[in-house]
Amino acid sequence: MNGDADKLLAYNGGAVVAMAGKQCVALASDMRFGRDQFQTVSSQFPKLYCLGPRLYLGLTGLISDIQTVSETMQYHVNLYELNERRQVKPHVFTSMLSNHLYAKRFGPFYVESIVAGLQPKTYEPYLASLDILGGTTVSKNFSVTGTCKAQLYGMCEPLWKTDLDSMNLFEVLSQALLNAVDRDALSGWGATVCIIEPDRVTLRTLKARMD
Amino acid sequence: MALEEIAGLKFSNGSDLFKGDRLLADDCLQASFNLQIPRFCDPVQFLKQYSEDGDSNVKIQFDHGTTTLAFKFQQGVIIAVDSRATAGQWIASQTVKKVIEINRFLLGTMAGGAADCSFWERLLAKQCRLYELRNKERISVAAASKLLANMVYGYKGMGLSMGTMICGWDKRGPGLYYVDSDGTRLANYTFSVGSGSTYAYGVLDSGYRWDLSVDEAVALGRRAIYHATHRDAYSGGVVNIYHMKETGWVKVSQDDVFDLHYKYLRKE
Repeated sequence: MNGDADKLLAYNGGAVVAMAGKQCVALASDMRFGRDQFQTVSSQFPKLYCLGPRLYLGLTGLISDIQTVSETMQYHVNLYELNERRQVKPHVFTSMLSNHLYAKRFGPFYVESIVAGLQPKTYEPYLASLDILGGTTVSKNFSVTGTCKAQLYGMCEPLWKTDLDSMNLFEVLSQALLNAVDRDALSGWGATVCIIEPDRVTLRTLKARMD
Repeated sequence: MALEEIAGLKFSNGSDLFKGDRLLADDCLQASFNLQIPRFCDPVQFLKQYSEDGDSNVKIQFDHGTTTLAFKFQQGVIIAVDSRATAGQWIASQTVKKVIEINRFLLGTMAGGAADCSFWERLLAKQCRLYELRNKERISVAAASKLLANMVYGYKGMGLSMGTMICGWDKRGPGLYYVDSDGTRLANYTFSVGSGSTYAYGVLDSGYRWDLSVDEAVALGRRAIYHATHRDAYSGGVVNIYHMKETGWVKVSQDDVFDLHYKYLRKE
């Protein structure tokens, strides 16, 4: 089972990385949609999904499962907001996702997720990453996932600093992603960065290597 | 050989290769033609366990993945290659030289295992030079490519991975041969080799004509490699272009695929 999981997680390729700053959080993904590892089907496939005004979900792994999980989580969030008549908090959403993934413990979704958002009222950054079975880790600095995880760790560790403001956070995150995917054959072909601040969310596309 | 007798050396048939200092000398002299094959095991079986579908937890991944192309036209031969080397999904390098300069009138391309290609083509360079010294004339492209094909045929089935194009200019004009580690040797006007070759063929075949000008031919080769690097995950880096003329080869250009992408985008 272990061997299959690795192969399927690398089938389409992809990379997502998120970092926390001062009262802001930023999330970035590559744009590649690959097939059977070699071929690139599309370079217009960002892997970031907006689930609330200050809540984003980044997913890597098998694209078929990325689409299923993101759509199902959108459904769960919609239902929550209709019933509770308020926005879902990031840590609550993370629990929902974790439970949803664990429900398929013996036939999992081949996705690795990152939840990035700001806590309501305090606007403190919230970052969590989940493995394919929903095992959750909440981080204070950055979260990485994808086929170039090792390269991303290598870029994030030295570049990240505490209390970066949104402009610097954008720069650091962009450089970390671009240089990591340039050392991975299965990710890249463009990049999207989303910066979540208390009063706005900015989405930018980066000029990246297309090979 | 006279020197052998004076020095008191005896050339053994290699069966006791591991005994004694004297026999190390034999090793160096013969090493170029006889690669050391361990006598206690079958190399193909031994390496299989370390391959992707093998049993071992340790996986050996050879440098692979590439796009190379070459085509003959009225002004000679154009050779265009990418520069990426991958070991599995890890990009090992973006600056690999995949055109091997055998001599002033012969070029070889590298596709498949990086070590295999560079070793055997360097060996071919040595053989071509020996031919020149013995026959007082340059070796033909047909003969050079045949030498290479015969060399690797001796190791057929042992897991060598090499897909190369031997390009040159000889008495018969521009020459282009495809040689691979299965022992295939083919002559034709256009070839593309590597994981990205299908993408390159698409562009190359739609633009190819015998009577292209040099500039048009270079632009065609560059475009074909660029498109392959865009679609194939295992090709990328820079596009290196060489032009084989009557007076020998010339390195035409080196362009980063990043710049080419945005340049072509602007033109459209």
